Amino acid sequence: MSDYKALIEAVIKGDIKTAVAETQSVLDAGSNARDILDKGLIAGMDEVGERFSKGQMFVPQMLRSAKTMKECMKLLEPFFQEGDITSKGKVLIGTVKGDLHDIGKNLVSMMMEGAGFTITDLGVDVSPESFVQKAKEVEPDIVAMSALLSTTMPSMPRTIEALQRAGIRDKVKVMIGGAPVTEKYAQEIKADSYASDAGSAVSKAKNLLGVS
Amino acid sequence: MKPMEPPTFQPRLKVLNRDQALAIHTAALEILEKTGFRMEHPGALEMLADAGGKVSNGDWVKLPAHLVDEALKSAPKQIDLYDQKGNKTMPLVNGNTFYGTGSDAIFTLDLETGQRRRTVLKDTANFARLVDGLENMSFAMSMSNPEDVPVEDIYVYVFAEMVRNINKPIVFIADSGRDIVKIYEIACLVAGSEEALQEKPFILNYSEAISPLRFPENVMEKLIFCAEKRIPICLPSGSNAGGGAPVTLAGAMALGIAENLVGLVVHQLAGKGAPFLFGSNVSVLDMKSTVISYGCPEWSLSQAALADMRDEIYGLPIWAFAGASDAKVMDAQAGAEAMFSIITAMLSRANLIHDVGFLEYGSTSSLEMVTMANELVAMSQFFTGGIPVNEETLALEVIERVVSGGPGSMFLMDDHTFEHFMQAQFLPKLLDRSRYDSWEEAGAMDLYKRCNTEAKRILSEHQVAPKPDRVLKEIDLILRSR
Ligand code: B1M
Repeated sequence: MSDYKALIEAVIKGDIKTAVAETQSVLDAGSNARDILDKGLIAGMDEVGERFSKGQMFVPQMLRSAKTMKECMKLLEPFFQEGDITSKGKVLIGTVKGDLHDIGKNLVSMMMEGAGFTITDLGVDVSPESFVQKAKEVEPDIVAMSALLSTTMPSMPRTIEALQRAGIRDKVKVMIGGAPVTEKYAQEIKADSYASDAGSAVSKAKNLLGVS
Repeated sequence: MKPMEPPTFQPRLKVLNRDQALAIHTAALEILEKTGFRMEHPGALEMLADAGGKVSNGDWVKLPAHLVDEALKSAPKQIDLYDQKGNKTMPLVNGNTFYGTGSDAIFTLDLETGQRRRTVLKDTANFARLVDGLENMSFAMSMSNPEDVPVEDIYVYVFAEMVRNINKPIVFIADSGRDIVKIYEIACLVAGSEEALQEKPFILNYSEAISPLRFPENVMEKLIFCAEKRIPICLPSGSNAGGGAPVTLAGAMALGIAENLVGLVVHQLAGKGAPFLFGSNVSVLDMKSTVISYGCPEWSLSQAALADMRDEIYGLPIWAFAGASDAKVMDAQAGAEAMFSIITAMLSRANLIHDVGFLEYGSTSSLEMVTMANELVAMSQFFTGGIPVNEETLALEVIERVVSGGPGSMFLMDDHTFEHFMQAQFLPKLLDRSRYDSWEEAGAMDLYKRCNTEAKRILSEHQVAPKPDRVLKEIDLILRSR
């Protein structure tokens, strides 16, 4: 069993070069990819999440750590078989129809990706029909909607209805967020979850799917 | 003979030198020429192509610099806004500064309970009436995004509610070319006719392009409508440093200005000589909370820089923000951040300054905060007035008189004091300078409580001259029409 201290440290620092070299060297030393992923990369990212939530790290540093992990994953991927679970779950995300705010949505996607989810991003101004069509295609575990305008919030229940009509409402979890959205609203429109920021979006998504 | 009086220097903030201003402007032009932008409105796309823009991939446009120069030449250097009775109250030109509230707050701090709650239409009315009654607030925006009106006509409802409750100019939001027509109809009713509105506009539309470099159809609909009807408009984007734009202020400004110049070019092509308020919104994305800050020094700095660029290059009046905060309640942070932006906006001579009274990075509005800001504006006006130096103010005779006046002689007793103290001193109304005992006797109120009391007093006592019944009835008809 290898020591992943240097790898973990490089992930936390967002030092891509060192992290990639470390990944290669532990692979060469005979560690298995699953072990490197779980005890090296993910352990590093967990520490990053921890430090961020304590206010000890800033967003660009956290995103750099996520990028570092992604680069290291490229070396590990060939060792995983088709069907091996390397993803925490599939998320289909978009900003709802009529709404063009995308910074919050992008941040949520990036954080989720960093935490190990597989993301399909539909962009902004996404109609209920587009959500449904893409959901049929990629079969996500979570449909995630962002709205920053009270005028576009009604598109959220409309999308939920459209998922219902298409017969896939109970195959997915629906998660919503954005400045005017509240927990109460999520209950009213029968969404499965609400998150107030990108960090909590990750933990709520994990809760929804029962992964850690 | 009287000695010559030197002109009074009015303190002025400058944050860019000419070379820096030109470098940012050149970068903006380069963005337009080399990177280009996405124009999603077919009519605007055609206008740009006809004028010499290079179109590729359907809606991607690259814009030669000479189109910008032409638009800058044809746009008026002065925009006059009138109150709803036809008096010119806001000549947006040179160093004139005017403060007013902001638009779509989702929440407000309830005046009675102090609790943060969702905004309703009654709040729109209260904010408008308060602004009408505050001497240093020059225009109103809605300060609310009410939950108790039909959501598809929300901007028509808040506009009508403002018209009912204020006679000062109104800066309004619309969603698209659909609701802006209804808002325009209401404005024409108030002004008396289309011509009267055009001659003495009391409205200005605030629309936004999407950073980076995207111009949606509904936004362009509003821009072209305003150009054709000669309704003043401004079209900043959200090129916030680290969010919609590079994290470094120079790059964020270059992007924001490039976006604004696209708006200006389309606007002048659609209505040559129509009034366009220049501006960008360059705040920052906070790297811990990820909110776009409404209390940061960067936004104030970037708009001071824009004011310098106006003076060096553009010559058009500019849009700005001030008097807002990221604090959740009206506390010391709110006061500090509000004052910082208010005084710097005035010192750099930004022209139309909105968002006064916002808390929680623009999510919550507060009547108390607007009331406080009214006094902070007064304080800043006093400071920017400078120090008049002349025989009267040097007061050498007075000094001579008092000093030679014998025991008991003092400045406080002199007629010179009586004659000048009102102008020579800033006389606060809400900022407390009372002695401890009297402060305690008066209820030991902090500034928040005093502003609360004052806001309540204005709302109960201030009379807003009502609009004629006929106008009010027709507004109701417009609201009911679908
Ligand atoms: C699926 O699960 C989840 C879970 C969590 C989720 C989630 C999904 N989605 C978000 N989250 C959460 O996690 C994110 C990261 O922590 C967070 O995302 P946020 O988006 O909150 O945070 C981002 C990282 C940073 N924040 C932002 O990017 C938003 C900041 C503010 C200032 C803002 C910006 C920047 C913009 N805007 Co707009 N804008 C405002 C905003 C004011 C505010 N106080 O928030 C708001 C949202 N805008 C508003 C308005 C009115 C408008 N805007 C408009 C335009 C723009 C810009 C283009 C200029 C720009 C967006 C650029 C872009 N590319 O996105 C217009 C509409 C355009 C349109 N059709 O969409 C326009 C109508 C203005 C106009 N006059 O045209 C107001 C909305 C009021 C309302 N309730 O309806 C507003 C609150 C400002 C205000 N006080 O007036 C959380 O909310």
